[in-house]
Amino acid sequence: MANHYRSTEQMVIRCAKEIIDGEVVFAGVGLPLLVVCFAMRTHARRITLLTEGGSVRGTAPAGLAITVDDPVLFASGDATFGMTGAMAALQRGEVDLTFISGAQIDRFGNINSTGVGNWEKPKTFTYFAGSGGANDMATSGKRGLVIIPQDPKKFVERVDYLTSPGFMGGAGHRESMGMLGGGPAVVVSTMGVYRFDAGSREMYLAEYFSGQSVEKVRSFCSFDLSVSRHVKETESPTEEELTLLRELDPKGFYLS
Amino acid sequence: MHEETKNGHGGSSVDKRMSLKDAVSRFIIDGDALYYGGFQTMVPMAITHEMIRQRKKDLSVFCTTTDVGGLDLLVSAGCVREMHLAWSMNWFARGSHGIRRAFQQEALKRYDLSNFAATSALMAGFFGIPFMAVRGNIGTDLVKYNQQDLRVIDDPFTGEKITLVRSWRADVGIIHAQRADPAGNIVSWGTRSSPDEFGAMGSKRGVIVTVEEIVAPEVVRSDPDRTLIPFYKTLAVVHCPWGAHPSACMGYYGQDIRFCEYQGEYQRNERLLHHFFEKWVDGCPDHEAYLQKYVQQFGTESLERLKPKRGFRPVLDVHYTYHDPAVWLDIPPFADEYIGGQE
Repeated sequence: MANHYRSTEQMVIRCAKEIIDGEVVFAGVGLPLLVVCFAMRTHARRITLLTEGGSVRGTAPAGLAITVDDPVLFASGDATFGMTGAMAALQRGEVDLTFISGAQIDRFGNINSTGVGNWEKPKTFTYFAGSGGANDMATSGKRGLVIIPQDPKKFVERVDYLTSPGFMGGAGHRESMGMLGGGPAVVVSTMGVYRFDAGSREMYLAEYFSGQSVEKVRSFCSFDLSVSRHVKETESPTEEELTLLRELDPKGFYLS
Repeated sequence: MHEETKNGHGGSSVDKRMSLKDAVSRFIIDGDALYYGGFQTMVPMAITHEMIRQRKKDLSVFCTTTDVGGLDLLVSAGCVREMHLAWSMNWFARGSHGIRRAFQQEALKRYDLSNFAATSALMAGFFGIPFMAVRGNIGTDLVKYNQQDLRVIDDPFTGEKITLVRSWRADVGIIHAQRADPAGNIVSWGTRSSPDEFGAMGSKRGVIVTVEEIVAPEVVRSDPDRTLIPFYKTLAVVHCPWGAHPSACMGYYGQDIRFCEYQGEYQRNERLLHHFFEKWVDGCPDHEAYLQKYVQQFGTESLERLKPKRGFRPVLDVHYTYHDPAVWLDIPPFADEYIGGQE
């Protein structure tokens, strides 16, 4: 076991383990691309990777993709479908796992990537980027994986702008909207791993990273966090995993 | 110049090549709705700079998703009144700072929706139909705050709720591509991510394109599968190498990350931004001058670095063929004891 690593490194390595080999994975911009590139070089060599840029590929890209439109995703890919062709797979129900990040998340896994403040009062509203494809992924993927650094400003009671649906207001809400996908399954932060209660659809802490504690995670969360009775400490990353990850992102584009 | 036909189209022999300045001044009118092409590759940066130089105003923009900060510059220059899109960013400036400020100052109306809703809006425009059904957006603030583009209805066939996105039909599309012939057959490959073929074909008056190279019509017709937009939809062809810089153009150059960061620092700092415009936009009469200035400041090696080194050429041998020449060769029709044969 390794002693010296960053929490972002543990987040990426732990998150990659949630990807099941053979799945059709739709990955969004940012950290998800690094996680997928890592997973395609470790246990998940047979996934099909789709991105909003329109690449469809069954092999790991030659280098680290910086955005979903990065030429490295298209070079030697299996198809260059463009945004429309690639994203249509979501609506057809073909995507096993969607993988996004965001600026805020609430206890039901609803995500904001549009901006903070009150949109109805423009002076108070700070735009980030917008939905991009996150909303489409969150609506229609069979299972949702979310990666988001732990921060009380990010784990909030109520998202300022609901960009991408989690379980909305709770049990049954997605179904009443006719949403195709099953909603978020796992959230991985820089401090732990969260899952969702099958009944209430509320997020609960399932694992905390080595060096953290339940109380410390709670203090980095702005809502009253539920904790699994079986909560456990996440295994530390191995030297091999860390070496591979650092080879993938040697300049710390994502990890710094 | 060829004589125009009665319907105004000159056919595939009209030469539509012109300067960037002429293309923008002749075909983009204040108040127009634009389709803004590209994503992180193929962003129409040279056209963006020219629209700023000409101080176009009251534009509305339809766009799926845009990186590199071209649209952000256009907004900061005061050219845009409203925008409909899914995502705007200069990834290397960690934000879309001009758009953020303009929204806060209430100088810009922004209508958000998801990427697939945006591509569906463009597809509806391409199909010439009023709207398209999409699965996403429902239940979120996208629908709540963007009733201009999105509505939820009961599906008349099943009774279930479904989101509709209205058709987007711009007045003019602006895109960048690898090649075109003089008549405006636009050739592209390696994906452009955003569905420029829908955005451009759905544009009411047509499309302005900047290209890396002009090729002969015979070259285009040797591989018509690669034509993204056929000539009759094209208003102007501008020969403009590096016209997507600092975004990427597959086969010609990658994204200029250092320049995106550099430009991004100006975009982040409102009080510095006018220096960027003075130096890189208004201070350059055309895109060639912009490139000269770039080489002066950052050296030829900075452009050379972006040219493809690890790329490849397809090995798939493509061949276009004809049907059975039986008719022209007097081959007699096939017959058996039931069908055909001599009477």
